[in-house]
Amino acid sequence: MKKLTMAKILTALLLTATLTAGCVGNYAKQETTTAPAPATTQAPATTQAPATTPAQPAGETTKAPESTAATLPDLKGTSLEVWYAVSGTSGELFSQMSDSFAKQTGATLNLSYSGGSGDTATKVSAALLTNTQPDVALMYAGPLYTGGQGDYSINELLDKGEGVDKNDIFPGMLSYCTYMGDGVCAVPFGISTQVMYYNKDILKAAGVDMTNPPKTWAEFYTVLGTVMEKGNINNTADFTAFDTNDEAWLFKSMLMQNGCEIVENESGHIKAIFNNEQAVQVADYWHSLVEAGYMAAGEHNNAENKFLSGNLAFVAASSNRITRWNGTTSFELGAIEMPYFTQPSLALGGNVIVILTRDPAKVAAAWQYISYLTNVENNTAFALGTGYLPIHKSALEQEAVKKAIAENEMYGVAFKQLDYTWAYTHFEQMGTMDVQIKSMLTKLEKGRGGSQDLLNKAVETLQKEIDDN
Amino acid sequence: MKKAKIGNQNRHNLAFSFLLICAVIMLFPFVWMILSAFKTSVDVYAYPPRWIPSRWSWDNFSRVFEMIPFLRYYLNSTLTSVIQTALQIVISILGAYSLVHLRWPGQRFMATVMRSSMFVPMVVTMIPMYLLIASLGLLDSYAGIILPQINTAFTTFLLMSYFSSIPKDMIDAAQLDGCGPFGVMMRVVIPNTKGAIATATLFSFLGNWKSYTWPLIATTKEEYRTLPIGLRYLMQESSSEYQVMMAASVMTILPVLILFIFFEKQLVRSITLTGMKT
Repeated sequence: MKKLTMAKILTALLLTATLTAGCVGNYAKQETTTAPAPATTQAPATTQAPATTPAQPAGETTKAPESTAATLPDLKGTSLEVWYAVSGTSGELFSQMSDSFAKQTGATLNLSYSGGSGDTATKVSAALLTNTQPDVALMYAGPLYTGGQGDYSINELLDKGEGVDKNDIFPGMLSYCTYMGDGVCAVPFGISTQVMYYNKDILKAAGVDMTNPPKTWAEFYTVLGTVMEKGNINNTADFTAFDTNDEAWLFKSMLMQNGCEIVENESGHIKAIFNNEQAVQVADYWHSLVEAGYMAAGEHNNAENKFLSGNLAFVAASSNRITRWNGTTSFELGAIEMPYFTQPSLALGGNVIVILTRDPAKVAAAWQYISYLTNVENNTAFALGTGYLPIHKSALEQEAVKKAIAENEMYGVAFKQLDYTWAYTHFEQMGTMDVQIKSMLTKLEKGRGGSQDLLNKAVETLQKEIDDN
Repeated sequence: MKKAKIGNQNRHNLAFSFLLICAVIMLFPFVWMILSAFKTSVDVYAYPPRWIPSRWSWDNFSRVFEMIPFLRYYLNSTLTSVIQTALQIVISILGAYSLVHLRWPGQRFMATVMRSSMFVPMVVTMIPMYLLIASLGLLDSYAGIILPQINTAFTTFLLMSYFSSIPKDMIDAAQLDGCGPFGVMMRVVIPNTKGAIATATLFSFLGNWKSYTWPLIATTKEEYRTLPIGLRYLMQESSSEYQVMMAASVMTILPVLILFIFFEKQLVRSITLTGMKT
């Protein structure tokens, strides 16, 4: 062994890998012909009723339903390339639902995980330039790649009223699928809002009655004071009462709650306005949380871990944590509706499905596929299996949803919030806006400037980028 | 004399203690990763931290295999990393040798261009590279993953710094003995910089092993995907099931660790045998 040279080691590794890759290659090919998704080891359920897993602990595999709601067309000989930007349990469920569609229609779906939201954006942008784009993509900011390219075919398909019932979709979610305020150019799927989760053990120790939870941020502030005083049950130095793992998302909701529209669309030109009086009030409130020691400065990346380890009483995080955290925490988990300033309002986030092919036959097949994924039955099952929100108003009347809410109160909270969700229109500099808001909040939390100055600077930087493009 | 010996001993103990602390700090994440791979999610987030799993479980490992075609990814990573590393080293040796020991027009300009390329972030070159690979029909192929990554300025410059330390007299002597440029490289330069080449190989391999973005962009088919993509897939959006991630990481890191052990021996041995201060 001592006489082995580097070249020999590399060659040995290479040969072994080549030989074994050849063997596994055949095996993988057999698998991907019918079920190309990563989670190919589990066949979709054949008789399982939809949405039967509402209280499923994270980490357990959720089975996709096999829809019987509508007769599916014969799509033998049709092949669709599908890229999806959801992973983990959500990715598994999405794959299983897709496999179920392929099985029932005879279509070939070539599913490919496309990485996180940023990776997928890069991949799709590059693919569009070389005409190697997928036919369908489940991705963040999808309208930039359809409406942004002048493609509103989804709007036309929705208007025909075949497959997806536009009137049954929550209005805020439809807004989330528009580009620059024009027509709908995507279909919502895997949408979420932030929910205010709390550690029941801490609140109990602090003597806070959560049967009558705080409704406004002012009431919430008072509760945080009590929690800081009596709720440090682990006796740790880094205990704080509140935090969020996505500060830009929460801040945007808070702006809207205080009557600040964030951006205005002036005949196709976006104008950032989150430096007005209402925005300053929100920023001042944010700063007061840090100043009082209720929220740690610049530690939002650690908020989720801190909450799960029992050193944080409240955390504002995506509704998809309902499923993920259920049954996995060492403490009793609860959730309340997000407090508000003058009106309840919550920004939507998450993914949408877009059709990127221009081939009419493929567009038709893609629409069948999207209609299948987003029908009330399947979409509700996906929502309950992942913690994302159902897109249909009628989903709330489904027995599965009622059962889920009865078994887990947090679903009730998330679904109730759907009444006041909203979305600003998609525009190219959305990413920059979030970066600017995050940067502004970090400086605000660390005392590197006043609310008005920091907001002005963030707005100016964003506006410059908008105007330059 | 005895006093000096005791003082010496104390200094050794102090140095040993310091190094021990450093070693513990360095090993901490590694040990934590291994232990977490056997924990439940409650154990992972337990406070105060629970070092030893309350129940040793292999479930996380089996979950990795359920969620992704781990073996396929593993083999792809090995294949692409080994070929890429081999090609990178060959190209870098040739490039470094020509830039240090040969004289040709535009040599300095070329060196500057190469040096400058180190400051261009990959995100800038990503889309042009994709366009090129797509036009060559290399998307979804091993060649498409490997070829755009075989020329690295860092490895070339790392080797250049070692190659330039070889005395000119040694090269002149080889030339007097009848060696041409290629002979000088093969018989003088490479044998005397084995340690440096081993180091460069290790750096290259590690970089290739953990390469994520380009293989993701260049592939859509499962049969060409590599381990870092699989690891990313295991992550939930915005957070992780850490215990599953840790199980996958333990399995991912093993070959790198084994390779490192081999290379470490090679590295030390090469330096000792060459008798050169590279």
